[in-house]
Amino acid sequence: MTAVHHPPAPPAPQAPPRRRSDRRFVQALPYLLPAVVLYLGFLVYPMLDAVRLSFFEWTGFRNDEPVFVGLDNYVRTFTNDPVFYRALTNSVIWVVLSLLIPMLMGLLLALALNRRMVGRNLFRSVFYIPAVFASITVAAMWRWIYNPNVGSLNQLLEAVGLASLQQEWLGDPQIALYSVFVASVWQGVGFSLVLFLAGLQQVPAELVDAARVDGANRWQVFKAVTVPALRPTTAVVTILTIINSLKVYDLIVGMTGGGPAQSTQVLALWSYQQSITNHDFGQGGAVATVLLAVSLCLVVPYLVRTLKAEEH
Amino acid sequence: MSGATILANPSASGGQVAAVPAPPPNRPRRDYVGIGLWISLAVSALIWALPFVFMFLTSVKTNADVNTAPTWHLPSVWQWVNYADAVETGDLWVTGANSLVVAVIKVPIGLLLAAAAAYALARLRFRFSKLVLAVLVAGSMVPIQVGLGPLFTTMLSLDLLDTKLGLILPYLAFGVPYQIFMLYGFFRAIPDELEESARLDGASTFRIFWQICLPLAKPALAALFILDFVATWNEYAIAATLLQSQDNWTVPLAVLSFSGQRSTEYGPLNAFIIMSAVPVLIVYLLFQRYFVAGAFSGAVKG
Repeated sequence: MTAVHHPPAPPAPQAPPRRRSDRRFVQALPYLLPAVVLYLGFLVYPMLDAVRLSFFEWTGFRNDEPVFVGLDNYVRTFTNDPVFYRALTNSVIWVVLSLLIPMLMGLLLALALNRRMVGRNLFRSVFYIPAVFASITVAAMWRWIYNPNVGSLNQLLEAVGLASLQQEWLGDPQIALYSVFVASVWQGVGFSLVLFLAGLQQVPAELVDAARVDGANRWQVFKAVTVPALRPTTAVVTILTIINSLKVYDLIVGMTGGGPAQSTQVLALWSYQQSITNHDFGQGGAVATVLLAVSLCLVVPYLVRTLKAEEH
Repeated sequence: MSGATILANPSASGGQVAAVPAPPPNRPRRDYVGIGLWISLAVSALIWALPFVFMFLTSVKTNADVNTAPTWHLPSVWQWVNYADAVETGDLWVTGANSLVVAVIKVPIGLLLAAAAAYALARLRFRFSKLVLAVLVAGSMVPIQVGLGPLFTTMLSLDLLDTKLGLILPYLAFGVPYQIFMLYGFFRAIPDELEESARLDGASTFRIFWQICLPLAKPALAALFILDFVATWNEYAIAATLLQSQDNWTVPLAVLSFSGQRSTEYGPLNAFIIMSAVPVLIVYLLFQRYFVAGAFSGAVKG
C-alpha cells in the first residue's frame, strides 16, 4: 500500500508519457487488485477451466484424473448429441422471440406511458414489479398458474367456454417452451419498458413541437423525430435482450428442469447438466465453450462501441 | 448511450417530464386517442396484475376450496394460517437469515471494491486502463453457467463448498465488474480541476478517492446498493451449485424446493412464494426511482 502515501505529485507534462503512465499503474494497483484478483480467481478461471476441460474426459470426482481426448468432446457434441441441437435451437428461438415480443411490447408501453395521464406511476409499477422478483419466484408462480388440474389458466379457459383449449402447459413437449416463454414475457417487459422510457426522455421536445407546428401528424412525428432519437436506446435494449436470452436458466430450471423430453433445454442449462448432473465435465465444457464464444461475439463489439462513444 | 449516462440521472423517467405537447389550440375536441390508450393500458395492467391476485387468493384458501371453486372466487374460509404453515415447513426464517447475511456482507464489500477499482481506472488512468475495464465488463456479461461446473470443483478443492464465504467470493467476482463499469462513468465525469486543486493542497491519492470522489458518487452508490441487494437476494444459479445442506440455503433454493415437494399444498405454497418476494417488493416500493438506472446493471447479472 505504498502508493497510498505517495507524496503529492504536481503534474509533470515534460516527463516522458510512458514513464508517467507506468508510475500511475503502480499507484492504481492497490485500488485495482482486490477486484481484479476476485474476478480472475472466481470468474475468469472457472470459465477458462471449462474451456480446458472441454479437451478432457473427466467425471468431476476428485480422485479421478482427467484424460486428454483432444477434440473428441466437440465431435461428440456436434455429431452425436441431439440434446445439444435441441438446446441450441431453443436458445435461438428464445433470442428471436425475445427480440420480437417483450421488446416491442416494452416500446409500445413506453410510448403510451410517456404521456401525462391518470395512474401513470401505478401502470408503470404493475408492469415493472415482476422484473424485480427472483426468476425462481416467477417460475414458481407460473408453475402454479399452469397447473393442469387446479391452475388458474385452465380454469379461466373453462369459465369463458374455451375448455377445448385447455392444455398440459408444461407437460406437453410441443408447447412447454412457449409456456415458459410467456412467463418470461410477463417478467421481462418491465425491463425494456424502463429502458425505452429513459430513452424517450432524450427525445428533444423542441423538435416534436416544431414538427407539430409544421403540421406533422402523430405518426409522422413518431417516424421522423422519435424513432431516430431512440436509436441508441434501441441498440442497448437489443444487445441486452440477446444477452439476457442466452442467460435464461432460472425460469427453465424452476418450471420444467429442461423437460419434458428435453423440449425446453437451452445451452446454459445443458452445459450445467452435462457437467454436474451427468458427471461429464468434458461434454459440459464443450457446450460451455460454445456458449462462451457466442456470448463474446456479441459482447465485445458492444463494449468496444460503448467505450469508444464514451471517449467523445 | 452508456449505462452511466442513465445512472447520472436516476429519476430521468421518474415523473413530471411529458414530451407530448398539448393538442393544438384550434382543435378543442376531446382526446379520443388518449382515452383509448388509457383504456387499453388499464386492461393490460389488469392482465399483468392477475397472477398476483390469483396467488394471493389461493394463498388464503384451504385445499378443499381450491379444488371446488375457481381461482378468482373469494375463499369460503380465510385460511391465514397458511402463512404460518409456510414459514414453518419452508424454514423461511433460516433461509431468510442466510440470504440476509450473504447480502449484508456481499453488497457493501462489493461496492467498496468496485468503487476503488473504478477510481483507479477512471482517475489514475494508466496505459491499458481502458482495456482492463473492457476485459472486466466483458467477463461479467458472459452467462454464469459457462463456469459453474469448474466453479464447483474449485470450491470443492478450496474446501469452501457449502459455506457462506464460498458463496460470497463468486458473488463478488460476478457482481463487481458491472458496478465498476457504472462507477467508471461517474468518476470520469468529475472535473479534473477538482482533483488537481486537492493535490496542490497536499491531498494523497487515497484522500482524493475517499473524501472527494466517493462522496460525489453517493447517488450512484445508493442506486447500486439497492440493485445489488435485490440481485443478491434473487440469485439462484450459483447458490444452487455451491450450497448443499438445507441449513445453508438461501431463499430462492427454498422456493424451488417448496414448489417441487409441496406442490399439492396449494395454500401454503402460494403463501410461501408471496413471502419470498416481500423483501424485494418493499425495497422496490421504497426506492422506486433507482430501478430506472438499475435496468442496466440488472441486465448483466445472473
